[in-house]
Amino acid sequence: MAAAAANSDMFDEIVMAEERFHGEGYQEGYAEGSHVGVIEGRRYGSLHGAKIGSEIGCYLGFALTWQCLLQKCVDEKNCKKIRALDSLIGMIQKFPYEDPMYDKLQEDLEKIRGKFKQVRSMLNIQSDFRIGTERSSLTF
Amino acid sequence: GYGEGSDPHTPLGSTPFPLPPGPGWGCRAVLGEGHQRTVRRVAWSPCGSYLASASFDATTCIWKREEDGFECVTTLEGHENEVKSVAWAPSGNLLATCSRDKSVWVWEVDEEEEYECVSVLNSHTQDVKHVVWHPNQELLASASYDDTVKLYHEEEDDWVCCATLEGHESTVWSVAFDRSGERLASCSDDKTVRIWRQYKPGNEEGVACSGTDPTWKCICTLSGYHTRTIYDVAWCHLTGALATACGDDAIRIFEESASAEPQQPTFSLSAHVPRAHSQDVNCVVTLHCSASVLRTSVEAEPSRKKRPRVSFSRHISRIARAVFPVSFLE
Repeated sequence: MAAAAANSDMFDEIVMAEERFHGEGYQEGYAEGSHVGVIEGRRYGSLHGAKIGSEIGCYLGFALTWQCLLQKCVDEKNCKKIRALDSLIGMIQKFPYEDPMYDKLQEDLEKIRGKFKQVRSMLNIQSDFRIGTERSSLTF
Repeated sequence: GYGEGSDPHTPLGSTPFPLPPGPGWGCRAVLGEGHQRTVRRVAWSPCGSYLASASFDATTCIWKREEDGFECVTTLEGHENEVKSVAWAPSGNLLATCSRDKSVWVWEVDEEEEYECVSVLNSHTQDVKHVVWHPNQELLASASYDDTVKLYHEEEDDWVCCATLEGHESTVWSVAFDRSGERLASCSDDKTVRIWRQYKPGNEEGVACSGTDPTWKCICTLSGYHTRTIYDVAWCHLTGALATACGDDAIRIFEESASAEPQQPTFSLSAHVPRAHSQDVNCVVTLHCSASVLRTSVEAEPSRKKRPRVSFSRHISRIARAVFPVSFLE
């Protein structure tokens, strides 16, 4: 009886070999995939973060420059512009850059973009982007 | 400036037409020099002296009505692509525009006809189809391809989104307030019209509100009446009837049944004009005259010729003429 048990263990190893290799292969693949995924994610994240940083940095530079330029002429008309510029600068400086898990990240970014567009409109600065007159896309 | 017509006294941007004899509608002017692409919507200012035109060329032109025609007083730029709608606030000092760039812009105009952008609202996540102002408050509503209606008001010197109305299962094409402004009607690609009601903080019905902002709840859904997308809805401020413009070429009128439940109104179909137009009905407007209420349908085909009529469709110029007496009387 002991011999029979020993025999079944030996066959067990052979019979179950494929399934075992399957399992081991899966574990190895999963581990490697996770590892590569983390590297790719980190690279994508830093690229994306840099893009956002560049965009916001551009708005900040723009706003600080105009704040400086308008400081010299503080008349009624410019009052609103200066207030809007201050608001934009405030929003940018308050933004939590160190916290990628900030729950209102997208919302606040959109507010900053909106404020920048408003300020640009008030200062009468045209964007370089112009839609072509030849476009024939169907829209309603 | 001078236009291209033979008459040197024609102000830039309009060509006067002779008035037709007898009753009826006739084209008074063609404003051809303002836009490079389709003119999607036009709106008269509450005082009747100005016309705003929203175009796919990403600009909104403001035209001033002079004795002998119209003159373009300014062009509002800033949207990144097609402007879908424009609306004047009842006060006449504010204007709202919305666009495929997903944003809603609020503009302020002062006594010197200077326009300034006071806010750029990026709350929607998709193309914004329509904007409309509340009849007596500075509250703005917008309808979008993202299936929601959003409401905005001014809070501490800045405009913010104060409510999002979810419920439609597809693009919301248009919204309309009732006369009191307590209720809002929205129409959608999901073939339904929804009626929403405002519940202020501390309301008797026990509807929860966050802070000082009212909550809007859907209190009625009109489904099963329309066979295609509903492109526009209008709420008559005189009779309380709802008119809808549908992609099945029909116009429908709904009237509210006198029920004891103001929180759960019921509307029934009181008129249905199939084949009101030969194609999709894109726009419906109710007119209020001191004598009677006319319900005129308007076909708003994107103008391929890029030279819009006074309001980009022969039909709307009828509206233009009818609105004048109302504006002056008021």
